[in-house]
Amino acid sequence: MRADCTDRERIFRDGTREEWAELERHAETCAACADEIRGWKVLSVAASELRNHREDPALWTRIERSLVEQREKGVSGPTVWDKLSFWRVVSVGWQTALAGALVLVLALAGGYVYRHRNVRDDAADGRLLKSSTLAEVQRTEREYMKAIDKLAMDAKPQLDSASSPLMASYREKLMVIDGAISELRAEAGQNPSNAHLRYQLLAMYQEKQQTLEEVLETKQ
Amino acid sequence: MGSVGFTLPWEHRISPVTREGESRVEPSELEVGQNRAGGWNPEDAALAAGCLAGDMRAYERLYQLQGARMRNLARNLLGMASDAEDAVQETFLKVQRGVASYRGQSSFVTWVFRILVNTCHDVRRSRMRRKEQQQDESEERAKQAEPRAPGTHPALRLALERALEELTQHQRDVFLLYEVEGFRHAEIAGMLEISETASKNTLFQAKKNLRGMLEPPRSQAAGGRQ
Repeated sequence: MRADCTDRERIFRDGTREEWAELERHAETCAACADEIRGWKVLSVAASELRNHREDPALWTRIERSLVEQREKGVSGPTVWDKLSFWRVVSVGWQTALAGALVLVLALAGGYVYRHRNVRDDAADGRLLKSSTLAEVQRTEREYMKAIDKLAMDAKPQLDSASSPLMASYREKLMVIDGAISELRAEAGQNPSNAHLRYQLLAMYQEKQQTLEEVLETKQ
Repeated sequence: MGSVGFTLPWEHRISPVTREGESRVEPSELEVGQNRAGGWNPEDAALAAGCLAGDMRAYERLYQLQGARMRNLARNLLGMASDAEDAVQETFLKVQRGVASYRGQSSFVTWVFRILVNTCHDVRRSRMRRKEQQQDESEERAKQAEPRAPGTHPALRLALERALEELTQHQRDVFLLYEVEGFRHAEIAGMLEISETASKNTLFQAKKNLRGMLEPPRSQAAGGRQ
């Protein structure tokens, strides 16, 4: 290859060693190219004026101290982001695809967990609600029975001693109510969760309470 | 591009005797792969591993190998020795903080110099934000001028420093990294995150602009230049 003036800029920009040699050979007979080559090389040589690779141990002492301080502060260890930095190596397209897949997996997993947890929770809550409500009803019922029995004890002398038709009627009514209560309690014992039986039982208790109150009012 | 008032008599600028290390006079003079201080050397992986392990001796070795060159580059990018030392120190701290993110896509030294160049840019930007006067900088720089190796051309150095200030940031970076610090275009491409071709083109444009600024007007030049 023979270089000439038209090749000069290209060789200045990106010439090989051989191309430079050709251009310099051409410059032996071309004043313009010789001038340009000299001016170009002068810049490279001039750049060496800016080169001062003098050692400076004092600067290392300062740097070392700051490195130790930073390490003691605990900032030198890899952060979570550093550990995830492999992500940056992956191309944007793959990052998008992986992010989409991750979101999909998380959504599916979240949906599955949510759905199954709700079913389990509903069942558990139902059992707890029923058992706790039943216990509360039974406790209240026992207290209510105690109170009514106490009321019955108060009314008993009046009912036993009086021979008036009204009292006889009250005694009959109370016997019917007690019979109904016994039957309902027997049924409720077999089916304690039956709310309808509980309401009937409560109505019987209220009826007995009201009857006993009437007996006591009659006495007064 | 015209001269900006700091030209020197062209034929008086350069000593015919080149100093050691001044062999780089044309772009393709050195073959790729040729060992160059701080290039792809065998210690690179060991340095990276040592720094990753938090071994202070690895940092010291990095400083021994590259500290002077880092300081020189920072000094040429920032103009002031004190700023340059701060930038080098900050670079080491950033290396310590970020070494876990180094993935070996470029050599460790290239990665370190990329951090240094970015740190210098940050310093320059922050300096511009502080709206420091150009005159103050020049005065400060004059006060902190470092002693240079004997036998150099202080007038030429000053003229070149001023001319470099007129270049774009990219042109200045590439010129300093290639012509002053001796990095290859492949390494510069890694540091500045540009292509190798862009690095070559930028260097060409930088040198063309510098010639325009440093050469005397054609009428004064002897020999009838084109």
